[in-house]
Amino acid sequence: MKKLQLIASMMLGLAAAGSASADSGKDVYTKVCAVCHAGGIAAAPRFGNAGDWAPRIAKGVPTLYQSALKGTPKGMPAKGGNLTLPDADVKAAVDYMIAAAGGAKAAAAEPKKEAKPEPKKEAKAEAKPEPKKEVAKEEAPKAAPAPAPVAVASAAAEAAPAPTVSAADVNSFNRLLKPASKRNLPPAEDGIHDPSNDGTHALQPPLAAFGSLPKSFAGNRVNWVEAISTGKIKPRYDRVDATAEPIIMDMNVVREVKGSMPDVVYPHKQHTQWLDCSNCHPAIFTPQKGANQISMAAILLGEKCGVCHGKVAFPVSECRLCHSKKKDLAPSAQATAK
Amino acid sequence: MGLLLALAAVLFVDVQDAQAEYGDVVINNHSDGAGMRPVIFPHWFHRVRFACKVCHADLGFKFKAGGNDINMVKIIDGQFCGACHNGEVAWSVENCNLCHSAKPGTPTQVHESTIQKLAQPVGAPQKK
Repeated sequence: MKKLQLIASMMLGLAAAGSASADSGKDVYTKVCAVCHAGGIAAAPRFGNAGDWAPRIAKGVPTLYQSALKGTPKGMPAKGGNLTLPDADVKAAVDYMIAAAGGAKAAAAEPKKEAKPEPKKEAKAEAKPEPKKEVAKEEAPKAAPAPAPVAVASAAAEAAPAPTVSAADVNSFNRLLKPASKRNLPPAEDGIHDPSNDGTHALQPPLAAFGSLPKSFAGNRVNWVEAISTGKIKPRYDRVDATAEPIIMDMNVVREVKGSMPDVVYPHKQHTQWLDCSNCHPAIFTPQKGANQISMAAILLGEKCGVCHGKVAFPVSECRLCHSKKKDLAPSAQATAK
Repeated sequence: MGLLLALAAVLFVDVQDAQAEYGDVVINNHSDGAGMRPVIFPHWFHRVRFACKVCHADLGFKFKAGGNDINMVKIIDGQFCGACHNGEVAWSVENCNLCHSAKPGTPTQVHESTIQKLAQPVGAPQKK
C-alpha cells in the first residue's frame, strides 16, 4: 500500500515536473552528479542501480530532495557541491536518477532516454526491460540518419556509437564544429579517460575549476592570462615556496609581418608570468631581434610559438591576440596613389 | 615536415571521438606494454596551481608529449612527477589509477593540439 502511494506520488511529481525538467535533470546529472553517482564514489548510490536506490527511495522523494539540496553527513555535498544550481535543477536531477533506478517503473510513461552512450553494467540491473524497449523504438528513427554517412565512409561506424558530428540533421549548421555541450566534459565522458577506472571518477571535472575563471573563445575556453593578472588564480612560481614571485620582464618585441596583416606584438610580460627565460631561450628562440625565422606554417606544425600555442596556450585561431599592431599606411604608397 | 605530418596522421587516427580537455597530454611510452592504462596529464589542472616554469624549467620536463622518458623508478626517485607526487606537495604514487586513467591503447598525444587537428581534421572520415 505504501509502495502504491509512493509510486503515485512519484508519478505526480514527474508529471508536474514535465519533460523539460527530465531533460535538464539529465543535463545536470551528467554535468554534476555523474562524477560520484556514475561509479559510486564515496559510497554514493550508483546511477541505475536499483539496489542502491531502493532504500533511499523508500524514505520518500521529498527526503531525497532535501539530501540533495542540503547535503548529508554521509558525504553528499549540498547540491553536489555546485551551489549555484537552482533548486529546481537539483530536484530534476534527483528525479532523473530515481527514474533510472527502479523508479523507472513509475516513470515508464515518460519518454525517458538512456543515460549514457555506454551504459554501465549496473544500468542493466533488473528493473527496467520495458522502458528500455520503448527507448529503443523512440531513439531508432532519430539515430538512423547520423551514422549513415559514416557507414559510407568506412566500417568505422561501429567505433562511433556517439557521433560527434551532425547529431540531428545532415544539413545542420556548424556540422563539423564541436558544440558547446561537448566542451569541458567531466573525465569519465571525455573520450580518453577510461570510465571503468575508479580513479577517473575521483578527478576534478574541468568545469568545476573553470566556473570562476574569465572566459575566452578557444582552447580551454579560459582566459588564462586574465586569470593570472587579475589574481583569480595564483599559480606557484616555485614547487614548494608559495611566496616565490615571478621575475617579470616587461618588454614588447614588435615583429613586422608581410602583407596587410597587423604586426605581431610579442609581450615578454605575459610570458614571464608563467615561464622562465630558459624555457624559450636559446633553444626555441635566439635571444636577438631579427634572428628568428618564424612562419605560421612552423607554428601550425608545433615549432616556435607553436611549441605552446596550439597545445596549451591559446591556439592560432585567435589571430588578433598576436597580430595586434595595426600597420601605418605607408606614406609613399599614399603619395603615389594621388 | 611531410614526414612529421604523415607520422602524426598515423598516430592520431583513433582519437576522433575524444572530447577531452585542450592540452590534456596522454603519455603511453611504456604503459600499454606494461599492462597499465596510459597516463593522462591534465595541463589545465596543473596550471591553475603552478606556473609552467616549475615543471618545464625547474623539473626539466621537455615541451614534448612522450619526449621525457619517465618511468615509475624515476618518479619514486623524486624526478619528474615524483618531485611533487611524493605525499608532501601532492598525493603519492600509490594512487596509480589517478594518473593511469586513459582508455587502454590511447596513443601519446597532446589532446586538441593544432597538429592533431591538421593531421586529422574534425569530421574527416577515419583513415584506417
